[in-house]
Amino acid sequence: MSDATFRPATDETPLARRALIALAVTGLSVLVLAPLVAVFVEALRDGIGAALQSLSHKDAWAAIKLTVTIAAISVPLNAAFGIAAAWFITKFDFRGKAFLITLIDLPFSVSPVVAGLCIVLTFGANSAIGAWLVDQGYPIVFAMPGIVLATMFVTFPFVARELIPVMIEQGRAEEEAALTLGAGGWRVFWTVTLPNIRWALLYGVLLCNARAMGEFGAVAVVSGKIRGQTATIPTTIEMLYQEYLSVAAFTLAAVLALLALVTLLLKTLLELRHADQLAATHRH
Amino acid sequence: MHIEIDEISKQFGTTAALHPVSLAIPSGALVALLGPSGSGKTTLLRILGGLEFPTSGRVLFDGQDATGLSVQQRRAGFVFQSYALFRHMTVFDNIAYGLNARPSATRPQKAEIARRVTKLLDLIQLPDIGSRYPSQLSGGQRQRVALARALAIEPRMLLLDEPFGALDAKVRKELRQGLRDIHDTTGLTTVFVTHDQDEAMELADLVVVMSMGKIEQIGKPQDIRARPATPFVREFIGA
Amino acid sequence: MGRPLVNRSPMPGLGLSMGITLTMLSLVVLLPIGALLLKGANYGLVGIWETVNRERVWAALFLSFRLSLIAALFNLVFGVLLAWVLVRYRFPGRRLLDAAVDLPFALPTAVAGISLTALYAPNGAFGALAAEIGWKIAYTQWGILIALVFVGLPFVARTVQPVIEEIDREVEEASATLGASRLHTLRHVVLPMLAPAALTGFALALARAVGEYGSVIFIAGNIPLVTEIAPLLIVIQLEEFNYDAAAAIGIAMLLISFAMLLVINLIQVWSRRRIGNV
Repeated sequence: MSDATFRPATDETPLARRALIALAVTGLSVLVLAPLVAVFVEALRDGIGAALQSLSHKDAWAAIKLTVTIAAISVPLNAAFGIAAAWFITKFDFRGKAFLITLIDLPFSVSPVVAGLCIVLTFGANSAIGAWLVDQGYPIVFAMPGIVLATMFVTFPFVARELIPVMIEQGRAEEEAALTLGAGGWRVFWTVTLPNIRWALLYGVLLCNARAMGEFGAVAVVSGKIRGQTATIPTTIEMLYQEYLSVAAFTLAAVLALLALVTLLLKTLLELRHADQLAATHRH
Repeated sequence: MHIEIDEISKQFGTTAALHPVSLAIPSGALVALLGPSGSGKTTLLRILGGLEFPTSGRVLFDGQDATGLSVQQRRAGFVFQSYALFRHMTVFDNIAYGLNARPSATRPQKAEIARRVTKLLDLIQLPDIGSRYPSQLSGGQRQRVALARALAIEPRMLLLDEPFGALDAKVRKELRQGLRDIHDTTGLTTVFVTHDQDEAMELADLVVVMSMGKIEQIGKPQDIRARPATPFVREFIGA
Repeated sequence: MGRPLVNRSPMPGLGLSMGITLTMLSLVVLLPIGALLLKGANYGLVGIWETVNRERVWAALFLSFRLSLIAALFNLVFGVLLAWVLVRYRFPGRRLLDAAVDLPFALPTAVAGISLTALYAPNGAFGALAAEIGWKIAYTQWGILIALVFVGLPFVARTVQPVIEEIDREVEEASATLGASRLHTLRHVVLPMLAPAALTGFALALARAVGEYGSVIFIAGNIPLVTEIAPLLIVIQLEEFNYDAAAAIGIAMLLISFAMLLVINLIQVWSRRRIGNV
């Protein structure tokens, strides 16, 4: 009797299986892993010294500081929004809930460039609001608030999207129990809800942060890319690259790539350890 | 078809699901494999259907060694515990599936397939549900469609895994008679797995009581009732 | 009397959570999108049409949607394959491969853009190989296609994976007992079950590709009429402070995207109705 006879009815032949695995591994290596490796290869082309030196340039430093600042403002704001929206949507019944969820999801289907365009049209100097704000001394576009708004727009659904399914699954019973025991609203939130959603929240914040630090299209449109002032890491990468400062561009890119790797590592750890407390399916 | 199980054993890793067991099933019999969960009855049924392969031993169909036959070659009509209906296909397409899956040389004409499906729908007494989807059927209807689907391939035997397990008590009683009738009409050798001794005793010509991967007793229902061969059988059917 | 806008609930925090949600949604998302639509309304349908109806704009829109469609189709096939291999097979490195699927989500687009360019430029690792057979990838439509495949790669795999995990093995076994070969089972039983999720992933990958900017502009070469994508046209108009034209192209892109998503949604509703609510 041949080996193939003893193959379970729901398995492909060993040959087909090997071919499919080979196809998946090759495809993913060429399409995804090769670009990752290329970032580090290009950054270290002239040695680690040259790479580190390019990082210590003041424009590079300014870009890193600006990107961290932007993320430090927009990510907590979006986390607060995500928690509030998830609470509103999962703890109350109201008309138009599905529509509200669609609106929250909207930024995922809008091009980052169009997102930037929308913010320029709303708050740019030639719009009514923008002109008034400039008069008051608070320019939005080509300044930090515009970058924060653009970043918030493109990362808007991340936290809410992660929390809503988890909170729907957990239901309201525990909160109701706490209320009957005499706990107030904030107490219920801090002692019952938050411990239940903390891993999902961390997961959402992680993805939100990765996207916030890496956003390019929307930020490029609203920032004006003023070197040392409104140039974030991704826009600085573009400028360096177009000036043929390849090592400097790829070194900054390597910084973001490392951030991406750390994000993926933490994300995988969360999925391994706390899979039961995360949303079952992930869309981005 | 006469089925013979010759010293079949099955290991899953280090645990033995079946110690060598032997059993002869006469052609046209209605046989129950009765036992608690973990007794190896489902494993034995799946070995007959070609869904598992024995670690050692042989299966003979009409005296011919069938151990090496693939599941497709066995032509065993198999009814699953969950029914495993294809939910994206209508009842009609579910029943016609096995005929449509044949290579074009042996595939019946479209009209012939339609004729056979209609006949099977009549046999299970649900003539009007061909255009419905499985999600639109009750549990009992799904079970009967699964049965019709298994019969459509003109099987050499009928194998049923807990065919009444997912149904409530009233429907269960009705469908028992339905299975008996279909067995009597088709004359197919039929083996079903159950943990319900009433069901086994009432329905089967021959009951095989299993426990811990071994056959405890083989006999007619009244004989097993009258003379349990082991303390396990006495306790199990005495409940 | 209709049902109340908000049902009475003992839960605390209605006002606060609703207030934060609606305020931030309005300020960050609705107001800006509204400004775009208002701009379009002021400019008028005729104005939009006159802006869009130019060879360069049509070429860019056609290029963006055509290449996005091809990339999403590739990702549909490869994503289903990837999901199948990751769920059904056990082999060394599977976890690593699984994590790598998310890399295009995590890697910033500008980083992906310059690194893909470095790889596929004529003097890059892959570009040099292709150049030997006279195949130019970077700075041609092939380069754009590769960037769009990269950014859309995870969508189908990630939406299909949980569905494969939930397939009842007995359904596949049932198909085998009825005499169907493995290939027949995969084609007629497994694939139809994956179709709705795969379609969702396809739509997401398509939407992402159409709007993609960062990873494309470096590798595209950006030659008008040949390798100039629609989002880049918007950026160009903005840099020339030509807000009306930028808004017109933006609205055209939104309209085409929404029309496509609507069609895909309708297909999905139709297929869901057929197989019951699953």
